[in-house]
Amino acid sequence: MRRDIRLILVFLALVTGALWAQTKAAAAKEELQRTTGEVGQYGGRLVISQRAEAKTLNPVTAIDRPSREVMYRTQADLIHINRVTQRTEPALAKSWTASNDGLEYALRLRRGIRFSDGQPFNADDVVFSFQVYLDQNVHSPQRDLLIARDQKITVQKADPYTVVFKLARPDAAAERLFDSVVVLPKHLLEKAYHDGTLGQAWSLTTPPGQIAGLGPFRLKNYVPGEQITLERNPYYWKVDAKDNRLPYLNEITFLVVASEDAEAIRFQTGDTDVISRLNSENYALLAKDQQSRGYTLEDLGPGLEYNFILFNLNDDTRGRLPDIARKQAWFREVKFRQAVSAAIDRSDIVRLVYQGRGEPLWAQVTAGNKLWLNTKIPKPARSLNRARELLKSAGFTWNKDGKLGDHNGQLVEFSIVSSSSNSQRMQIANMVQQDLARLGIEVSVVPLEFRSFLERVTQTHEYEAAVMGLVNGDVDPNPEMNVWMSSGATHLWNLGEKKPATPWEEEIDKLMEQQIVTLNYPARKKLYDRVQEIVADELPIICVASPDILVGSKKNLGNFRPAILDPYTLHNVEELFWKPK
Amino acid sequence: MAYLLRRLLHGALVLVGVSVLSFLFVQLAPGEFFSDMRLNPQVSPETIRHLRAQYGLDRALPIRYVRWARSVAKGDWGYSFAYGLPVSKLIWSRARNTLLLTITSALLAWLISIPLGIYAAERRDRWGDRVTVAGSSALLTVPDLLLALALLILAIRTNAFAAGGMTSPDFAELGTVAKIKDVAAHFTLPLAALVLGTLPIFFRHVRAGMIEALALPSIQSARAHGIPRSRILFRYALPAAANSLISLFGFSIATLLSASLLVEVVMSWPGLGPMLLEAILARDLYVVIGAVMLSTFFLVAGNLVADVLLYLSDPRIRRGPA
Repeated sequence: MRRDIRLILVFLALVTGALWAQTKAAAAKEELQRTTGEVGQYGGRLVISQRAEAKTLNPVTAIDRPSREVMYRTQADLIHINRVTQRTEPALAKSWTASNDGLEYALRLRRGIRFSDGQPFNADDVVFSFQVYLDQNVHSPQRDLLIARDQKITVQKADPYTVVFKLARPDAAAERLFDSVVVLPKHLLEKAYHDGTLGQAWSLTTPPGQIAGLGPFRLKNYVPGEQITLERNPYYWKVDAKDNRLPYLNEITFLVVASEDAEAIRFQTGDTDVISRLNSENYALLAKDQQSRGYTLEDLGPGLEYNFILFNLNDDTRGRLPDIARKQAWFREVKFRQAVSAAIDRSDIVRLVYQGRGEPLWAQVTAGNKLWLNTKIPKPARSLNRARELLKSAGFTWNKDGKLGDHNGQLVEFSIVSSSSNSQRMQIANMVQQDLARLGIEVSVVPLEFRSFLERVTQTHEYEAAVMGLVNGDVDPNPEMNVWMSSGATHLWNLGEKKPATPWEEEIDKLMEQQIVTLNYPARKKLYDRVQEIVADELPIICVASPDILVGSKKNLGNFRPAILDPYTLHNVEELFWKPK
Repeated sequence: MAYLLRRLLHGALVLVGVSVLSFLFVQLAPGEFFSDMRLNPQVSPETIRHLRAQYGLDRALPIRYVRWARSVAKGDWGYSFAYGLPVSKLIWSRARNTLLLTITSALLAWLISIPLGIYAAERRDRWGDRVTVAGSSALLTVPDLLLALALLILAIRTNAFAAGGMTSPDFAELGTVAKIKDVAAHFTLPLAALVLGTLPIFFRHVRAGMIEALALPSIQSARAHGIPRSRILFRYALPAAANSLISLFGFSIATLLSASLLVEVVMSWPGLGPMLLEAILARDLYVVIGAVMLSTFFLVAGNLVADVLLYLSDPRIRRGPA
C-alpha cells in the first residue's frame, strides 16, 4: 500500500515535471518579433477621430475606410509592407523563400503565438483564411486582389508552421499581395463559413468575446454612432528592444466626428490625440496654435493621390449622346489634349488649391513614390504659346472675338464635371476653366453630388470632361493594373474596350502585362517608366497635382512615425506610447 | 373610441403613403451604394454584380417594395448595405439619442415659453413685452445652423463645454455622478441650440393665444368681477388658449425633429441625423427609408397625441360631425 502511494507520488511528480517543462518550452518557443523603436512606457489611451463610423469588423467584407481603419488594428497579415520604408517585412511569417521561377512561396510562420482570445495560431488558420478569401461564393474583395489578371493561387500546409503558396504565373509583387490579407481565426469563423453566414459575422453588435485576431488590439466596446474602443491584446507577438511585450497603450478610441472641419476642431480642443487626413486649409488654421495647445503638425510631402482632368473618350456615345460624340472629335485629338495640358498652370493650382502643400504632376506617379517615380518625365511650365501652336497645327482656328473653333467652324465649348463634396477638386476645375478661357475655350464647371458624378463617369458616360483623383493603395504598379489595361474596369477614359483603341494603349497593355511577370526590379522599373512616359505624352488623363499628406499628433506621443502610405498615422500603433509630461 | 380608431387608421395610411413615396424618391437619386466600388481598381465588376444581386438591387422596383414590406413585417425593416445589419437594429440605438434630445428640448422650450408668453401677453405693448418680442424676433431670424455653429465656437473658445459627441472616451470608467456630469457637458450645447431655435416660435404662439383669450368677453367679465389676476390667467385664460397650443404641440414635434437632425450633424450627436446624412450620401436605401419612416412615425404619433388631448380638452370636438 505504502509502496503504491510512493509510486503514485513519483508518477505524479514526473507528470507535473514533464508538463511544467513542456509549458516552459512552449513559452520559450514563442517566436516574437523585436521592434527597433524607442522603448516606451505602458498605459494610457489614444483617441482619434473618424469621419464616418466603422460598419463592421469582418475582414472579409470590410471595404470602407473607417471599418478598415479599426479592423486592421485588430488583425495581422503574413507579410507586411512597412509604411515608412515602403518595402515588405516579416509579420506572421517570420521568413519566406521563393522558388527560382517565382511560382512557389514557402512561408514559415511564427511558432507559439496566440490570437487575442488566447487560442494558438498555426498553418491551419492560414489555409482556412485563404480558402475563405479565394472562395468564389464568398466574394471578398481580397479575392479580386489575389487572382487579378488570371492569376491562380493554391495554398497548402507543409507542416503546422509552414505554408506553401503556388502561383499559376509569376508575380513580381507577390510578396506585397500578402499585405492587408489578414489571417482569420479558424476556430471562430469556420462554422459561419460552412453555414454560409460569414458575410454577417463580426458585425459591430457581435459580443467582443466572439471576435479575435492577431493584431495589437481587440474590440472592447462599441457605442453606436459615437465611438469604438479597442483594448490591448495581451498575446500580441511583438516586443520592444528590451523584450517588453507590445503594445504600450491600454486602449484606442475611435470617435465618430461627422465632418472634416469638426475633426480639426476636436483635435484643436485636445479631444483627439492624432489627426490623420488634414486638408491644407485646416492645417494652416491649426498651425497657429501648435505651441499653446501642445500638438505638432507634420507635412509628409505628396502622397499617392493623383488628381487629373479626364476627357470622355468612350466609344459608346455615338448615336446615344450625339452632342458629346461630336465634341469627342476634339478630345480624341492628342494635340488638343496636349494643348489643354500646356495651358494649365499647375504651380498656380498647387499654390492656391493646396496653399503650397502639394506638388504639380505631369504623370500618374507622385514624388512620394520613391521606388517607382520616373524622374525623367519632362515638367514643362505653363505655356499658352505652345498650346496655341498645338491647336493651330491640329486645324483649330480663332474667330475675331478670340474664340476657338474647329475646322467645321464650331466653337470649342465643353463642360467639366466634378464632385461637389470635394472642394479642392472643384477649385481645380475652376482654375482650369480660367486657364482655358485664355485659349478662347469656353468651359463650364458643373458640380455634381458624388454618386451621381460617379454614375456619369463610370456608367452612363454622360459627361464631356471631369476632374477627379485616384489614390493608389500601394506604391507598386500592380494594384493599378485595372486603370492602365485597356480592358480594365477602371480604365476611366474609355471603359469596356474589347481591344486597345489606340496604338499607345496597346503598348501600355503590353508593358503592364510584362512588368507583372518581370521579377527583376530594375528591368521592371524600366517598363513602368515607359508607361509613365506614354501617359505624359498621350495624356489619356491630364495629371495636375498631388496634395501633401498632412497629419498631427500631441507632442508627448512617442514613436509617432507617420508615413504617406495609408493609414498614414496608426500603422505602428503597437509602438505608440505616452511620454511623461 | 371611434374617433381614436379613425385617427389611428389615418396615421397608418400616412405611413404607408410615405413608405411608397420614399421608395420612389430614393430610386430617383442617381448612383447607388456600390457606385463607389466601381472606382476601386481592386474590386472586380463581378464582385459588384454579385453584391447587387445579393441585396436584390437587380430586381424591379415593385418586387423590392414587396420584399421590403415583408422584412418590415418581420421587424427587420430591410438590410443596410453598409453595415450588413437589419435597419431596425441600427436605427433604434440612434433614435433613442435623438428622442432624448428632442423630448428634453421640447419640454424645456414649452416650460420657458408658456410663462414667458403669458407674461408678455399680460403686459402687452409695455416694455417687458416689447423686449421679449424683439428678442424672439431676433432669434427667429437666426438660422439653426448658424446658432449651432456659434455655440460650437463658444465651446472651443471657453473650453467649458464639450465640442461634440455625447460622452467622453473614458465614459465607461466614470462613476455615476461623473457620468451624469459628462453627459450634461455634452448635452448642453445641442440642447441650447434646439431650445433657442424653437423657443421663439412657441413663445409667439403662446403670446398670441393668450392675447386672444384675454380679450374674450368671459375674461373681461371675470376681471370686472375682481377675480385675482393670477387666477384669471391660469384658471380661465390659459385653458381658453389651450386649443391652438395643443395643435402646435403636435406640429412642434416635426419642427424639432428636423432641427434636431441638423444640430446633431453639426455637433456630432450620435442620433438619427448623422446616420441619415451618411446613408443618403452613400445611397444606403433602406437606412434612408427606415429613418424617414421613423421620423414620419414620430410626427404622426405627435399629432395623434395632440388630437387626443384636444378631444379630451374640448367638448366641441367630441360633439363635432367629424
